[in-house]
Amino acid sequence: MTSFQSTIGDEEGIAEELAEGQREISIAEFFEKNKHMLGFDSGARGLVTAVKEAVDNALDATEEAGVLPDIYIEIEEVGDYYRLVIEDNGPGITKEQLPKVFGKLLYGSRFHAREQSRGQQGIGISAAVLYSQLTSGQPAKITSRPKGQSRAQYFELIIDTDTNEPEIKADEETTWDRPHGTRIELEMEANMRARNQLHDYVKHTAVVNPHARLELREPGLDEPLKFERATDELPAETKEIRPHPHGVELGALIKMLEATESYSVSGFLQGEFTRVGKKTADSVIDNFRDVYYGRELAWSPPRAHDDRDVANAVADAVANKGAEATTAFAEGVAETVSNSDRLSRSELATIVDNIAETVEGDTGKTFGGTVRENAVDAAWRAITGAGGEDDDGADDDEDGATESPLVADAYALVDDATSTRKDDAAVRAMAEALARRFENLDGDAFRATLDDLERLVADAASFVAEQHDATFGETARENVVEAFWSRARTVPDDPPKVKSIAGSRDAAADLLEAMRTTDILAPPTDCLAPITEELVEAGLRKEYDADFYAAATRDAEVHGGDPFIVEAGIAYGGEIPAEGSVELLRFANRVPLVYQRGACATTDVIKNIGWRNYGLDQPGGSGLPNGPAVISIHVASTNVPFTSESKDALANVPEIEDEIELAVREAARELKSFLNKRRSMQQRREKQDVLGRILPEMADKVSEVTGRSRPDIDGALARIMNNVSVEREVTDETVTLVVENHSDVNEQLEITDIVSSEPTDLSDGTVVDMDGEWFVQWKPEVPSGDERELTYAIDGDADFEVSVGGVETEKLTVNA
Amino acid sequence: MTTESDARDELIDLAADFYDQFADGEIPEMTLPTRTKSNIEYDTESGVWTYGDRTSTRSANSVRGARKLLKAAYTIEFLAEQLDEDRSSTLRELYYLSESWDNDEAQFSSQDESNDLVEDLEIVTGVTREDFHMRPEESGATLMGPLLIREQTRRGEREIHCQEDVGAGGYQIPNNPDMIEFLDDDIDFALAVETGGMRDRLVENGFDEEYNCLVIHLKGQPARATRRITKRVHDELDVPIAVFADGDPWSYRIYGSVAYGSIKSAHLSKYLATPEAQFVGIQPEDIVEYDLPSDPLSDSDVNALESELEDPRFQTDYWEEQIELQLDIGKKSEQQSLASRGLDFVTDTYLPERLDAMGVL
Repeated sequence: MTSFQSTIGDEEGIAEELAEGQREISIAEFFEKNKHMLGFDSGARGLVTAVKEAVDNALDATEEAGVLPDIYIEIEEVGDYYRLVIEDNGPGITKEQLPKVFGKLLYGSRFHAREQSRGQQGIGISAAVLYSQLTSGQPAKITSRPKGQSRAQYFELIIDTDTNEPEIKADEETTWDRPHGTRIELEMEANMRARNQLHDYVKHTAVVNPHARLELREPGLDEPLKFERATDELPAETKEIRPHPHGVELGALIKMLEATESYSVSGFLQGEFTRVGKKTADSVIDNFRDVYYGRELAWSPPRAHDDRDVANAVADAVANKGAEATTAFAEGVAETVSNSDRLSRSELATIVDNIAETVEGDTGKTFGGTVRENAVDAAWRAITGAGGEDDDGADDDEDGATESPLVADAYALVDDATSTRKDDAAVRAMAEALARRFENLDGDAFRATLDDLERLVADAASFVAEQHDATFGETARENVVEAFWSRARTVPDDPPKVKSIAGSRDAAADLLEAMRTTDILAPPTDCLAPITEELVEAGLRKEYDADFYAAATRDAEVHGGDPFIVEAGIAYGGEIPAEGSVELLRFANRVPLVYQRGACATTDVIKNIGWRNYGLDQPGGSGLPNGPAVISIHVASTNVPFTSESKDALANVPEIEDEIELAVREAARELKSFLNKRRSMQQRREKQDVLGRILPEMADKVSEVTGRSRPDIDGALARIMNNVSVEREVTDETVTLVVENHSDVNEQLEITDIVSSEPTDLSDGTVVDMDGEWFVQWKPEVPSGDERELTYAIDGDADFEVSVGGVETEKLTVNA
Repeated sequence: MTTESDARDELIDLAADFYDQFADGEIPEMTLPTRTKSNIEYDTESGVWTYGDRTSTRSANSVRGARKLLKAAYTIEFLAEQLDEDRSSTLRELYYLSESWDNDEAQFSSQDESNDLVEDLEIVTGVTREDFHMRPEESGATLMGPLLIREQTRRGEREIHCQEDVGAGGYQIPNNPDMIEFLDDDIDFALAVETGGMRDRLVENGFDEEYNCLVIHLKGQPARATRRITKRVHDELDVPIAVFADGDPWSYRIYGSVAYGSIKSAHLSKYLATPEAQFVGIQPEDIVEYDLPSDPLSDSDVNALESELEDPRFQTDYWEEQIELQLDIGKKSEQQSLASRGLDFVTDTYLPERLDAMGVL
């Protein structure tokens, strides 16, 4: 080829000329060209990305080791550069691994694992190292002390940009006060213009990792920012899972087929995929057979008195077995055949085998393979008119006197599958055309894939349209195909072995199709570690001083074979600024997403929710809502679909978007009922305030005008407010608390009266003596519009102090 | 008619009702007939329109209701004191006076509010506001015609002849027309005229003298006093009443309130309305017949006409026919448009023809 190409035209040596310009691209050049994709497009952003990569690694490492993370971040100005230090209390990295982890791009443990983790690609931290060395010329300084070792190992290393291998500049033992962990120090050209994003990143990391303790020092802070942990509970450990059959692509499948040690497809499926057992493997294989081999069409056997005589045909085909055995065999086959509704050739072969075994047992005659084959051929010919010597006979002439037995069968199916308005002649023409085409199929077993069948029916339909001017529309054709396909039988052939599938792209594609069309359980979710509803809320509670918190964790769902879980949380009110739009916190596998908010699927979902329904202000009825609220969304998955390598924004995957919406709505419903309640309580308070002022004045005025003394208006007030009123009446030695419920619901109250002298004769309730004070307690249920009297007796004077629980203070009027 | 002490007692009784409601632990409230177009009914006995059975309740249950009742309590006190001291004040004075009350919540936010409240009190107590000594701001009608009356003024009795003792402006009736007494008259009929210009034209042309007519100047939408004097002229002097107004929907309402009573004061219809009063014109029919200069109907005119078609007071064959005709021709004309046929046309031709047709002359 090369020599041919190089002689094109008159110019010589173009390929050589081109070849001179072709060389390996160094990793440094690649990085330089693609640093925006990796999040290092500016000094400001580079610093945030470096912190993010280091902290993500630290969190992954500590969690994996079952250690509560304790992470220290420090940024210092050093001359023209910034020095970044990240320390963690993780398990440390062995001396052997350490240079590669930090000094080689695309080296990592995560890329091939189906497990939820922050890092996925093995680019992040080494990209930060490379960025630092390219901008400042300084090596990365790394200290690591594996758990249980008395001393730590100190490295200085740079990445050899030609070979993508670490180059160790210093390697020495050192002491470190942390018992175990890793410390990385990078110097880089940077600036602090992205301080807000940095703070957001650290704060949001704290929100979504309530089990982590974080500390941030940077030049702009007088005091270090400290985020304490809200729980001592580590996230559930995640398990690595095998791929799900619905989530692999053809290339990956071929690779797996090549690599597997399994011999059979069934073993391969069960061994390499999650959620595939014997039964599922069998269904996949059945589907695979249908795609790969096609099905065998099945036909009705002749009924009694039909001139197609299976018994005679079989008897004729058998020679030298004696009359008795021959008759038993022939009649046995004929009877079994006539008992079945429809038969494929493979089924017929099975019947023949069975009968042969039985007759052999009864008569002692041997029915060998050839005899059986002849019998099958003969019987099949009797049933379908196909195969054997008849193939080249004159019977098959299209206008021949003898009609193929297939036609009647096909006629019944076509007639059944098409609308009743179809002309009988057209149906017959179609049946005949189909029968002819079936007879022309390779072999005499009538094997066809679904595709073949569709083609065949379409062909027959166009023939009928041409010859008989009768149209079989698309729906009619589909129905006919379905009628034949559903009555066709999956072939009993063994599927090809794994090796041969691996060697054939078409076969592998057939297997993939079979896997995709089989119903298979969703992947297990123990590979995911959701934050959980409680901790989503606890995280928000820790970092936002709000009046209300809600959270929701959805059940796991699947996108492209990868399981995922969506969680949402909402904080509202309190110290959250009320101006402008709500704060949206986005997380993927517990990593905050700081950049590209507008390109993120989460943002799209939030914008499309009608927030007015949930009590938030939303100008124009769409877009980000306004108000003092924080909405946090966490997507955990074994494979989070990002829009780019820098992992800033979630891609718009419909399954994930749906779940995000459901999770957010779930939390928002709680917000709505909180806001409704608060609004109604506020209105009630306002009403109470105003009426509490107006009605006494009105009472004063009417008593003035009428010249009577001021009336008691508490009863009227309680009634107006639909309140529960508690009023004390003391007569001689009897104390009565009258509880009236003016509200429209039944109230379950807890009333405690603290009395300074000993109460006796309680009307139910309990009394506890507490150092000379008596606590009398009742828990009455007062139906709407009803009242209860709670009484006790005292000896002489006493002081009282009543407290009422079980009802909001706004709904309570106490006069006791 | 109630006396002053009766009026005072009624007010105190209302306050006592509120007091008792408080004392019983109940929510203070007062119940009034619903004052809307849909709740006025024709009273066959008196031939006027009064409130139907539907009621609305002003209750202290809500902030709005409580404020209304507080204002009512303050107003009751004020009116009771005013009656004690035998003084009077205008509705507008009540509105401003509320500013002096010690309670911000009790102050009226608009004059409509204080007017409505006084009407509420009239209805609940069954006492007219004249008997509360409340006067409206606008003055009542002027009369011109052969009528001798005696008026009880604060400065003593006066006998006045409404043609001979008055200037061109006529006799100005007092706010409470029950303070005058009819002594003698030579009236054949009374003509209630909407506009000042037309009234002056009739007087200048000597229509009152020539036809022994009492010309009542309505001054637009007639004040209560005007409607009351009209009713008294009809009832006590036994003369027919004719209403002469513009040919537009607003003027039909003027006729309606003279003849049938207004929605807002339907509780006083028996006391104010003159169901026998007849409409002279300008009728839509006249616009066509006399080919009067006209203006096209505006949207609000059309709406008003359509709303009149649904008004129970206008559901008579005569009015339906006239209003539908007007909607059909889409025109309206003023009284003064008759001047297009000359200044004397109205007194020489139009009125004699119309009054003759109506059987008044």
